Amino acid sequence: MVDEPNLTAWLLTLGGALLAISVLMSRASGRLGLPTALLFLCMGMLAGEEGLGRIVFDDYQFAFRAGTVALVFILFDGGFNTPLAAVRRGLVPSTVLATVGVAVTALVLALGARLLGLPWMLALLVGAVVSSTDAAAVFSILRSSGLHLKQRVGTILELESGLNDPMAVLLTLAITDQIVGGGPLGWRIVPDVVLQLVIGAAVGIALGRGSRFALRRTRLPAIGLYPVFTLGLALLTFGVATLLGGSGFLAVYLAGMVLGNGALPYHVGIRRVHDGVAWFSQVAMFLMLGLLVTPSRAIDVAGQGIALGLFLFVIARPLAVLPLLLPFRLPWREQFFLCWVGLRGAVPIVLATFPVLAGVPAGRYLFDVVFFVVLVSVLLQGGSVGWLTRKLSLESGAPPPPPAVLEVASAHDLEGELLAFYIGEASAVAGSPLSEVPFPGEAAVVMVVRGRTLIAPRGSTILRPGDHVYVVCTREDRDYVRLIMGQQYEE
Amino acid sequence: MRITDFLDRNAVEADLRASNKPGVLRELTGLILRVKPDLDPNELVETLLQREKLQSTGIGDGVAIPHGKSAAVPEIVACVGRSVGGVDFSSLDGLPTHLFLTLLVPESSHGLHLKALARVSRLLKEPRVRQALLEAEDSAAMYDIIAREDARL
Repeated sequence: MVDEPNLTAWLLTLGGALLAISVLMSRASGRLGLPTALLFLCMGMLAGEEGLGRIVFDDYQFAFRAGTVALVFILFDGGFNTPLAAVRRGLVPSTVLATVGVAVTALVLALGARLLGLPWMLALLVGAVVSSTDAAAVFSILRSSGLHLKQRVGTILELESGLNDPMAVLLTLAITDQIVGGGPLGWRIVPDVVLQLVIGAAVGIALGRGSRFALRRTRLPAIGLYPVFTLGLALLTFGVATLLGGSGFLAVYLAGMVLGNGALPYHVGIRRVHDGVAWFSQVAMFLMLGLLVTPSRAIDVAGQGIALGLFLFVIARPLAVLPLLLPFRLPWREQFFLCWVGLRGAVPIVLATFPVLAGVPAGRYLFDVVFFVVLVSVLLQGGSVGWLTRKLSLESGAPPPPPAVLEVASAHDLEGELLAFYIGEASAVAGSPLSEVPFPGEAAVVMVVRGRTLIAPRGSTILRPGDHVYVVCTREDRDYVRLIMGQQYEE
Repeated sequence: MRITDFLDRNAVEADLRASNKPGVLRELTGLILRVKPDLDPNELVETLLQREKLQSTGIGDGVAIPHGKSAAVPEIVACVGRSVGGVDFSSLDGLPTHLFLTLLVPESSHGLHLKALARVSRLLKEPRVRQALLEAEDSAAMYDIIAREDARL
């Protein structure tokens, strides 16, 4: 028997080593074009009861709870980093995909599962559990291969995945309830879902607005307390929305969006912390799910899981997505891409723990099947995202990241903004000395980064293609400055 | 510098037909060709597209100012187009774009290019001017509004 201080020390040693080693290895998997999610899952399995680590972890309750917390932080961060302009552009198609699209995908997949011999209710449950997509996975793959998606496709994918988790959760919980509680699945589920989405949206927006107000009014004694408040807000929003009978995930996503799009004290610092917490959640969640799986048991359903996975990506997703995209008249390349890249991530695996907890017979079987569906998705779709993006020429001409970053941190609402630009060949200012650039009265270039050199701007400094330029200007002059400079870095 | 120095009355169109970004750029270069028939439209579209690739010149509030430098352009030239229904120009605020003021300048004229851009965007920053242009009866009325308001700047 191990005594207490040592038991804790053992747990921390193992957990810490797993996290640290996985993160170090993520670079290698990025080079191979493999999704990092896959790496983390495998590391978890390797550490598990049948791997090298021999860690026995079989606590579905804990996995569900920890998975939910992780998803709350990931969704909050996703909302926080989604600019409102992007929302305006992609809102309608992605909302359609995230609601009707999810339901249709779930139904078609249930049909496939039925064909494989599952009873109806279980087939529906499988469909619901794996019905939502995961954009974080897509973006981490693209980022690690140095690609940027064209704005519209990227926006639709990202918004869809932010908005569709609530749907999948609602469907899963509703069907699980039906199986456990008995009784047929009726149309009652439709108004129910709508109500939950409405309540979730209302709570998310209200709490987001309220806390933005509170943050701007209250001066906290230390900078480090600001992200603590926003992290607390994320948890609070999920809890309140769920208790009020709404969708907690939708609420969290929207609260993050409201907060991220407003003027906030220490905006940059808060974002950094949330970015880190979201990554931590991602890594820890996949490791945990890898630990949870029992490979020798899961292998029994590998055939079914893989068949369902293929059915989902080749038949169910295109069948659900294509007709829904039709009214938006997207170019065929973009439609094709959206059909193919419905990547599944951690959400289905976390959701699959719920039926186990609720005591659904065959719950563990379902968990194993879902695990394989996600595995197929991560390998097949995740593995081909980069290739497909290039093949369909959907990469955007995003500028190379600046070699140095200049940021302003402040507890106050500042008059004026610091904007970062990349000078391209076609920028109006390219080739001009600063003295000839007609800046408005309150605007000026404050720093130029050329290669690894920081240049203090003078009137004689000529802006060259490839320069990274920082400009201070008023909010009013921002649009004009963007017009003449050419390409602004997304904040 | 006056906008009317480089904007011809004939290069204004009150009713653009195109419904997407490449279509609008093509139609706008068509307006330039009304006054400079010798220019190569494909080259002009390409010049404008190069700039759009960096970031949309749809700066928001329904306004876009496509622009570019080209060796083929002998002197600064502009055109104005209006799309009543609005076009998805991937504008910075995500809203449809209605007013387009296009500027093309010779390769060498950096200072002139920037001055013209500054003047044009100052004009279109006025909500009153935008409103008047949106409500104007026809292209002649649009040109008159620009000429009048430009003189006031």
